[in-house]
Amino acid sequence: MTAKKLFLGVLFLMCQIVLAQQDSIVLKEILISDYQLKHFSDAQSVQKLNDTIIERNQSSLTSLLNYNSVIYFKENGLGMVSSPSFRGTTAQQTAVIWNGININSQLNGQTDFNTITTRDFSEISVKAGGGSIIYGSSAIGGSIHLNNDLSFKKRFENELRLNYGSFSTFGGNYKLAAADAKTSVNLSVSRNSSDNDYEYLNTKNLRNENGQFYNTSVNLAFGYKLNQANVLKLYSQVFESERHFSGTLVSPSRSKYQDLNTRNLLEWTASNQVLVSTAKVAFLSEKYKYFGDFDSDHFETSKAETFIAKYDLNWKITSKINLNGIVDYTKTKGIGSNIGIETRNIGSAVLLFKHQLLHQLEYDFSVRKEITNAYQSPVLFGFGTKFTASNHYNIKLNASRNFRIPTFNDLYWQGAGNPNLKPESSYQGEIGQEITLGNFTISATAYYMKIENLLRWMPSGNIWVPENVGKVNSYGAEGLVNFHKKIGVHLIEVHSTYAYTVSENELLKKQLAYVPYHKFNAALVYSFKKITFNYQYLFNGQVFTLADESDVLKAYQVSNAGIDCNFGSKNTYKIGFQALNIWNENYQSMPQRPLPGRNYMLNLTLKF
Amino acid sequence: MKQIKLFLTVLAGALFFVSCSDDDAEDAARIPLGSYDLGTLVLNEGNFGSGNASVSYISDDFSVNQNDIFSIVNDGAALGDVAQSIGVNNDLAYIIVNNSQKIEVVNRYTFKKVATINNQISNPRYIAFANGKGYVTNWGDPANPNDDYVAIVNLSTQSVTATIPVAEGPEQIVSNNGKLFVSHSGGYNFGNTVSVISNDAVSSTIVVGDVPKELQIVDGNLWVTCKGFPSYAPSGTTNGKFVKINADTNAIAGELKFPNGQAAMNLGNSSISGTNIYYNIGTAVYKCAIDAPVLPTTPAFDAAAQGAASIYGLAVNNGRIYVSDDAGFTVRGKVYVYAAGNAEFAIGVLLNRTTVGVGPSAFYFNN
Repeated sequence: MTAKKLFLGVLFLMCQIVLAQQDSIVLKEILISDYQLKHFSDAQSVQKLNDTIIERNQSSLTSLLNYNSVIYFKENGLGMVSSPSFRGTTAQQTAVIWNGININSQLNGQTDFNTITTRDFSEISVKAGGGSIIYGSSAIGGSIHLNNDLSFKKRFENELRLNYGSFSTFGGNYKLAAADAKTSVNLSVSRNSSDNDYEYLNTKNLRNENGQFYNTSVNLAFGYKLNQANVLKLYSQVFESERHFSGTLVSPSRSKYQDLNTRNLLEWTASNQVLVSTAKVAFLSEKYKYFGDFDSDHFETSKAETFIAKYDLNWKITSKINLNGIVDYTKTKGIGSNIGIETRNIGSAVLLFKHQLLHQLEYDFSVRKEITNAYQSPVLFGFGTKFTASNHYNIKLNASRNFRIPTFNDLYWQGAGNPNLKPESSYQGEIGQEITLGNFTISATAYYMKIENLLRWMPSGNIWVPENVGKVNSYGAEGLVNFHKKIGVHLIEVHSTYAYTVSENELLKKQLAYVPYHKFNAALVYSFKKITFNYQYLFNGQVFTLADESDVLKAYQVSNAGIDCNFGSKNTYKIGFQALNIWNENYQSMPQRPLPGRNYMLNLTLKF
Repeated sequence: MKQIKLFLTVLAGALFFVSCSDDDAEDAARIPLGSYDLGTLVLNEGNFGSGNASVSYISDDFSVNQNDIFSIVNDGAALGDVAQSIGVNNDLAYIIVNNSQKIEVVNRYTFKKVATINNQISNPRYIAFANGKGYVTNWGDPANPNDDYVAIVNLSTQSVTATIPVAEGPEQIVSNNGKLFVSHSGGYNFGNTVSVISNDAVSSTIVVGDVPKELQIVDGNLWVTCKGFPSYAPSGTTNGKFVKINADTNAIAGELKFPNGQAAMNLGNSSISGTNIYYNIGTAVYKCAIDAPVLPTTPAFDAAAQGAASIYGLAVNNGRIYVSDDAGFTVRGKVYVYAAGNAEFAIGVLLNRTTVGVGPSAFYFNN
C-alpha cells in the first residue's frame, strides 16, 4: 500500500517537472542509461572494458571477466553454470546491471555469467565494492554494468563476426549501428553453439559428455530525440538458450536446462541546465526448465516476471553541488514447480548528494531505504571522497552499507522456504589510489568488508532450509595496470590485474571455500601495421573446497594466444586465429569437472 | 605414502593390542581377513556434484581411523558422486554410488575393487541379495513417477540382467526366505507402502504408514520404520511409527507408536539390536524395547552434549551406538560412538569421536 502511494506521488512529481521544461540544453552526443555509473562513482574503482577488448575475448561474460578483471569464477565445465566471486563474496553478492537495471535472478539471486553474450554490448564496466544504494540488492562485492551507448552522430555501420573452432564451436554476431541527429539504433544479434565434447586430459578417452549447448540473443537499443530537451530510449533484449549439463569425471549426466530471459526498458529523459529528469518503466522476465533426463517429458520449471517503475531527478543546485533523488517501485511475480505463486512488492527511495568542495576535493553522501512486505530492510548509507592531487595522482575513500535480499527460492521454496529471513548486509570500506604517468596507469585499492546474516541452505532433518547464519570478514587488495604506447607503426598494450583476497568465516576462522588468495591475469597486445598479436595469461591460486580447509583444488595457469590481420583499407576485413589454453593445462575450477585442453578458433570480422 | 606407512604402523600396533587383550577373546581368535576387518566402515555421501564420496574405516579398538580407503587401496581412483548405501554379500561389499549411476564391488575386508556394475542402473538406492542374485532399487528419472524399478544383478557376471517395475521411490530392500521387501519412501513424492517381490515379480503391496524407509528382519518379522510426512508435505507433519509385519504372511502384526496427545513428530534413523530399537529425533537418541506398548517420551541421551549438530546416520552393533554428524556438508563430518549400555558403561557414555569424510550417513560392520 505504502509502495503504491509512493508510486502515485512520483507520477505526479514527474508531470510537474515535464511541465516545467522550458529552457533546454543540447544533449551530449553519447547517451547511456546508467547515469549514476558516470556521475556518482567517482570515489570507487570502475574498470571499463570497451568494444575493442570485448572483441578480442571469447563471447561469454565469464571468459571476458576471468581474463580481464579481478573476479574469480567457478564454472561447471565450459559454457555450463558459471558463478562469480568478487572480493571473496558469493555469486549472489555480485550484481549485474543491464542499462542501469539490476538483472540478477529473482529466483536464485545471481546471474549465470555464461548466459550473457558480451558482443551485445558496447561497453562493460566492472565496479568494485558497494553499490546497493544505487543498484539495490547484491552489489556487495561489486557490480558488472552492461551498457549500450546511443550516439546521435550520423552513421550507418554494419559488423559481422563469425568464428568456428574445436568441438564444433560456432559463434556469430551481427551488429547494426545507425543514427542521424534525431534517431539512433543499435542492434545486435548473436548465436553461439558448441558440441563441447572436449577430451578430459590425462584420462583414458574420457570426454565431456552431454555438454552441448546453444544460445541466441537479440539486443536492441533505440533512441529518439523528441526535441533538444526530451529523449525517448528503448532497450530490449531476448536471450534464449539450451544447455545439456555435462557430466563429471565420476558421474554421467542426462540433464538439460533451458533459459529464456527477456528485458525491456522504456525511458524518457527531459533536461535543462539545472534538472535532468528521467522516468523509466521496465519489464523483465526469466524462465527456466530443468530436465533430469533430456529424453523425458518431465521437467521442473520456474519463472519470474518483474515490473519496475522508476523516477530519477538530478538537480544541479550549483555548478559544484549535485542532488539526485530516485524513487522506484518493483513488483515481482514468481511462479514455479517449487515456489507456487508468490508476489513481492518493493518500494525504495534513494538520495545522492555530491559536492565539489575544492578544485581537488569532492565528496558524496548517499542513502537508501526500501519498504516491502517480504523482509525487514535496513537503511543503507554511503560516503565517498576523491582527492585529486594532480593529473598524476588521486586518492579515493569510500564506505557504505549494502545488502542482498532473500530470493524467491529462499523465501518461498515449498517445504523449505523461510519467510522470516533477513537480508544479508555488509559494512565495507576501501581506499584506492591511481597514478597516471603518460601512457601508464596503475591503481591500487585496499578494502575491508564485514558481512552479516549470511544466507545459507543448511540441512535440517531430511531437508535443506535457508537460514541467516554466519558472518564473514573479508579484506584484500587489488591492483590494475594499463599501459599503451605507439611508436610509428608499432603499438604495444599491456593490461593486468591482481587480487589478494582473505575471506574468513568468523566462526571457524578459516578461509571460505572457493575463494583463492591470489588471482592474477595479464594481456599483452602488439600491433604492427595491420597485424595484431595478443597473449593472455591467467593464474588462479589454490582454493579450498570445504569450509574446514580440508580439501583443495590446485592452482592453475592458462594462456591464450592469437593473431589477426586486417585486409581491409576503408572497411575492416579481419581474419584471426586463436589458440586457447596453448600450454594444454589440465585444470578444474570445480571438482571433477575438467576444463578444455588446447583448442583452436578461427574468426572473421567484417565491418562495412 | 606417509599416511599409509603411519597406518601400517598403527595397524600393527592395533593387532598386537587386540591379540593381547583378554576381554575380547573371540576377536583375538580370528585372523583379520584384510586391513579393514574387525572394524566399522563409514559411508560418506559426499557433496552432490563434487564427486567426493568416500568410505572411512574405524577399528573396533578405535586405534585405527582411516579415511578415503577406496581411493587409497585402488590407486587413487575416486569412489564417485553421492555414495548412497552398501550391501554386503559374503566377502563382497556393493557400494551404491547414486549420482555416478554405478555400483562399485569391492572385497569388504581389503577394499580391492572387483567389478563395477553400471548397466541398467539409474539413480540406484539400495541392494539386497536373495536366490543367488542381487536386487537393486532404482528411481530412474526422479521427476518421473512411472519409471522406477528393481534391477536384478547376476552375481557371477556382476551385471544387470533384468528389471522389475515397481511403484515410485523404491528405497530400502531386504530379503527373507527368497522373498524381497521394498519400502517406497516415494522419491520426490511421498509413499506409504512396502512391495513384496516373489519369483522376480511384485506379488503384493502392503500399506504401512507415511514415508517408510528402514527395513529390518528380526525373528521372522519385518520391521518397517515409517518416518511420517515431513512439514513440507501437502498434509503437513504426521507421526512416524514402527510397523511389524509377519514376513511369511505379509500381515501387519503390530505397531509401535508415539503416545497419544503429543504434537506430530517424524522419526529419524533407526536400528534394531537384540530386543531393542534405537532411533533418533534430532540429536536425541531413544531406546525402546520392541515389545513395548508405546514409544518413550524421554531420550536415553542427547548427542548435542558432545557437540553433534545433527544425526545423519545411526546404527547399533556389539553394544555400541554409532552416530554420525554431517556438520552441514560444508566440512568433514564426525562419528560419535556411544555405549549402548552394559555393566561397564551406561548408555550414552561417549567411547570415541573421529572426523571422517563429507556427509557420513551409514555404518557397516566387519566383525
